[in-house]
Amino acid sequence: MAGDVKHDYHLVKPSPWPLLGSLSLLLMVLGGAGYMKGLWFIPQHAWWGPLPGLVALIFVLIGWWGDVLKESRAGDHKEVVQISLRYGMVLFIASEVMFFVAWFWEFFEMAIFHQLRALPEHADLANNPGLAGWSEWPVPQTNGARVKPFDPFHLPLINTLILLLSGTTVTWAHHALQVGDRKSAKIGLLLTILLGMAFTAFQVVEYSEAGFSYDGSIYGSAFFMATGFHGAHVVIGTIMLMVCLGRLMAGGMKPEKHLGFEFAAWYWHFVDVVWLFLFAFVYVAPHIVWGSGAPGAGH
Amino acid sequence: MSSEPKTAAGHGHDHGHGHGHDHAHDHHDPKWYSPSRWLFSTNHKDIGTLYLMFAMCAGIIGFVFSGFMRAELAEPGLQLFNGTAFGGFFGSEHNYNVITTMHGLIMIFFMVMPALIGGFGNWFVPLMIGAPDMAMPRMNNISFWLLPVSFFLLLLSMFVPGPAGANGFGGGWVLYPPLSGTTGHPGLAMDLVIFSLHLAGMSSILGAINFIVTILNMRAPGMTLHKMPLFAWSVLITAFLLVLALPVLAGALTMLLTDRNFGSKFFEVSGGGDPVLFQHLFWFFGHPEVYIMILPGFGIVSHVISTFSRKPIFGYLAMAYAMVAIGFIGFIVWAHHMYTVGMDVDTQAYFVAATMVIAVPTGVKIFSWIATMWGGSIEFKVPMLWAIGFIFLFTLGGVTGVVLANAGVDHALHDTYYVVAHFHYVLSLGAVFTLFCGWYYWFEKMWGIKYNGFIGGLHFWLMFVGSNLIFFPQHFLGLQGMPRRYVDYAVAFREWHHWSTIGYWIAAAATIVFFIGILEAVVRRRKATESGNPWGEGATTLEWTLSSPPPFHQYNDLPRFK
Amino acid sequence: MRSGAWKYWALSAASLLGGGSAWAAPHDGGIDFQAPVTETAKHIHAFHNEVLIIIVAISIFVTALLIWVMVRYNKRANPVPKKFSHNTLVEILWTVIPVLILVWIAKGSFPLLYEQDVLPEQAKEEEIVDIKVYGNMWFWDYTYNVGTDNEFNVESRMLKVGAPDPSLELKPARGDIAQLSVNNPMVAPVGKYIRLKISAKDVIHAWAMPQFMLKVDAMPGRLNQLWFKVDEPGVFYGQCSELCGKDHSNMPIELRIVTEQQYVEWQRLFKESPEAARAYLDQVRPRPAQIASAQ
Ligand code: HEA
Ligand code: HEA
Ligand code: CUA
Ligand SMILES: [Cu+2]
Repeated sequence: MAGDVKHDYHLVKPSPWPLLGSLSLLLMVLGGAGYMKGLWFIPQHAWWGPLPGLVALIFVLIGWWGDVLKESRAGDHKEVVQISLRYGMVLFIASEVMFFVAWFWEFFEMAIFHQLRALPEHADLANNPGLAGWSEWPVPQTNGARVKPFDPFHLPLINTLILLLSGTTVTWAHHALQVGDRKSAKIGLLLTILLGMAFTAFQVVEYSEAGFSYDGSIYGSAFFMATGFHGAHVVIGTIMLMVCLGRLMAGGMKPEKHLGFEFAAWYWHFVDVVWLFLFAFVYVAPHIVWGSGAPGAGH
Repeated sequence: MSSEPKTAAGHGHDHGHGHGHDHAHDHHDPKWYSPSRWLFSTNHKDIGTLYLMFAMCAGIIGFVFSGFMRAELAEPGLQLFNGTAFGGFFGSEHNYNVITTMHGLIMIFFMVMPALIGGFGNWFVPLMIGAPDMAMPRMNNISFWLLPVSFFLLLLSMFVPGPAGANGFGGGWVLYPPLSGTTGHPGLAMDLVIFSLHLAGMSSILGAINFIVTILNMRAPGMTLHKMPLFAWSVLITAFLLVLALPVLAGALTMLLTDRNFGSKFFEVSGGGDPVLFQHLFWFFGHPEVYIMILPGFGIVSHVISTFSRKPIFGYLAMAYAMVAIGFIGFIVWAHHMYTVGMDVDTQAYFVAATMVIAVPTGVKIFSWIATMWGGSIEFKVPMLWAIGFIFLFTLGGVTGVVLANAGVDHALHDTYYVVAHFHYVLSLGAVFTLFCGWYYWFEKMWGIKYNGFIGGLHFWLMFVGSNLIFFPQHFLGLQGMPRRYVDYAVAFREWHHWSTIGYWIAAAATIVFFIGILEAVVRRRKATESGNPWGEGATTLEWTLSSPPPFHQYNDLPRFK
Repeated sequence: MRSGAWKYWALSAASLLGGGSAWAAPHDGGIDFQAPVTETAKHIHAFHNEVLIIIVAISIFVTALLIWVMVRYNKRANPVPKKFSHNTLVEILWTVIPVLILVWIAKGSFPLLYEQDVLPEQAKEEEIVDIKVYGNMWFWDYTYNVGTDNEFNVESRMLKVGAPDPSLELKPARGDIAQLSVNNPMVAPVGKYIRLKISAKDVIHAWAMPQFMLKVDAMPGRLNQLWFKVDEPGVFYGQCSELCGKDHSNMPIELRIVTEQQYVEWQRLFKESPEAARAYLDQVRPRPAQIASAQ
């Protein structure tokens, strides 16, 4: 910018990415709409519907964050700018927390108050076949099948330990990076990524063994929505960590300045904490209150 | 009424540099007609301008839609939405619901929010706190560009199948399932509405994060939070509300989307789900949302009242913390929109109490504005007219809110025109009045030309009379029992509907005068006051120390506060 | 507060605003609630009048202050502005006084809420009549004598001019009101505690009865409850009050309160012929002629 600038703020140059990003989102959403209902040239249930938009979006993100990296290397990210970026990341995570509030709210309300809507008088309400089942939690599937929730002390417990462990390895990596021990940083990061992938893998195994489905009943919906969105965040977090590892290998990331790493680590901790809540309230607590696989046993 | 230039601004801050310092890098400024300046902008003032232009377009559409409604409701029976009028252009009763729904969504998400937060927030938060730009200028731009995209999806939804055999989504801006589910609207329209709101929500969340960061981290040296102008305070609080409330809406919308398309049972009774849960999630967002729409207006009005009374704002800290209190309490009152869903009576009692509490901090604001004027030397320039009008009308709208807060009475008034009257008093006569207030207050600062005071005054008076005539009789209709979202009504409601529609035509005249005013100013090009401050010693915030319009990049040398 | 004085003002305001007239339906140009019918509705109406006076007073107060500052402190009247920006006393006052007002409002509000929502304890089992109410797109149906041998169901649809189905034809001469009258009204006995169990079969509707100041959502998957007790026979109108799609404005509620014997007779007739039952209702409960003439 102009030569007489006497502050450290970063005045960003005009950029095509925001506009292109919005347009790719539009494309993706229209594709999604096409996938769901059929729209214009996209037939219903065409799996590739949202794909063009997604690809475009990925390109935009690479371009955008590539620019950020370039600017960072060019020294645009002075102290005060770094503070801004940190605040920004914290707030982004805060908004994500509120996003999860919605899933937890759903789950709690349904798990705790499902009986309210199953008063005896309801039983003779015509046209509401599901009613009788509401006195139970988990609510049976619409096809009448009873829901057998997961035993929290098998895979979920292992996954909890995995995530907790990954929290420590990422901290190790961060500490190593700060003191300039790049080798340990790489190992720590690699371990974290592997643990993250292990978590995802176990989650996939677990899902495949589920005794209930997303469209079976409110239980399956609430369960898969909460854990599924968490899983998606694990995957995103893993990708963020992989990018960090790549940059570390390529010689990037300085001991005194490595915001990308910090943010990935924060995000990872956030994902970790969310899991602890899921484990405690979606897996363990209902297991204790209602027992496992014995619907209605608690009553 | 156009103003005489005053002597140099008496802002009293040692901001370390004079006016007209923009010459240093004039040669860097992109030309106004350069497409990349607007498409790729990373400049807070340009993005603010984009927001304002967008809000204006959306405002016109929302305004025209309200005209369709008023024309339909002018008489009992079906005027427009009867399948034959204008060659069937307006379709059937369902299309009335579509128009109403779109009107509500457009006015809220695409007119008021973009104008007050995106438009004025972008323009004036950095100027007021002495920052050269927003913290994340590129992100600022995507916050804007998501809006046209989202708006496009919303408009598109009107032309694709909604319920069986008809187009568009007509389930109200609150989107309650099962009407918004496959039961009521199996078609694509509702999916597009959901996507539209997802994107609008993203836009607002990103924008809000940007504002919070900017305000927390980029205030001029020496400007503590307790010295920060009230408009910046109001945007800060609004931004927190957005960050905390919108994701919950996004969650609810996502559940609705998968209920519709992937068989989940969140709000699906047959699978044990509960439609009431959607309402909880919606209003957990929805109630803070109404304060999101009014708080920035509170900020604007504070400056205008102080400027034209030539007196510092009364009880500055109380004003700031009253807004904090309103924002906070706003999160714990949501179910006052749901008194009739069959809520437990003790729960209702709680929400009655919590809701009424909000009247206290709001009263603090009303009385502090009046106390600011008290002892002042008031000039009735156009922005001041809007501000005083706002205080009066917002009070009327606020006190009917207190009536509605009482669940016992609300059982009679819920979903009647009394509610419609209430919220238009706080929105169409509250938020919109602050919008025009800010528009005239900063007109010269933003565009570098003067508006015509006579036209501005005419705009105000027509709007004041017109919109009161639209909405005051609706209280009577509501008390008499006229339900909301009715395309047709019993003949016994005719009288007041009739007046209401007449009021609309006056408001329409006002809106035309508004645009004539812009046109006149653009054609005449009256030069802005040399000093950059047309309002004189009462205008103490930093933006008045800059030229009008301000340089492309301001504060290369940061202003300093004692 | 001297509640006696308030009551006086409330009453005079009520009569001023037309609350005294006993319209049995909304009337053109009306600016108040429809005349309340049940005890509870009367209480709520009185409460609303009190709150109305308070909010009008607050609005007038704010307006008066605004006018005062505009007159006294405009540029001409007061060329040199004062500089104060604090006054602890008034700040405390304008916080505390609204709190007191609100507490006073709440004091009246809570008991009413409970009175309205909770069926009185003194209601004896034999004084309670249960009726099931379902909202449908776009009509209401009512089930009487639920769970007994005598259970039967009545569908209630709006009458309109030029309806394809002749039994749905609106006949103003008969006292039918457009947008409010239905083919088979809901019927309930006078002097009993009528307890409605309300739900819906498709989307949300809301059963509303302005003259009883009652409204509750008909919510799929929930059974909401509402009670009222009317001490005089009469004809009352309500309308669906939750957006339910295209014909949301075309599913009104017409309620006939009749004597116990007439209630029984109507039931008997209805099972023979709904038309006969209707005619019977019109005969025992003619509708206000002035409304018919307003057509
Ligand atoms: C800008 C938007 C805005 C604002 C600021 C408000 C402010 C308030 N609103 Fe409103 N409201 C809406 C927008 C807004 N509302 C909308 C859009 C809806 C309908 C949504 C839909 O269904 O579509 C709605 C609906 C709505 C309902 C639900 C009605 C129903 O559907 O049945 C209720 C009920 O409690 C309510 C209450 C209040 C209250 C108590 C306030 C308070 O904040 C008001 C406080 C202000 C004052 C009281 C005046 C100033 C104070 C004084 C002068 C002090 C002295 C006063 C006293 C002691 C009383 N509102
Ligand atoms: C901010 C919000 C807002 C605003 C401004 C308005 C403005 C108006 N609205 Fe309303 N309205 C809603 C929000 C708003 N509305 C909502 C949320 C609903 C409920 C929807 C639902 O039921 O789901 C509703 C419903 C609603 C109904 C009830 C429909 C029904 O229930 O059947 C009616 C009926 O008369 C109505 C009429 C009007 C009219 C005549 C105006 C007039 O005041 C319009 C006059 C024009 C203007 C006030 C401003 C024009 C602005 C500009 C041109 C932009 C300027 C821009 C810049 C300076 C940058 N609206
Ligand atoms: Cu049924 Cu509205
Ligand atoms: Cu609210």
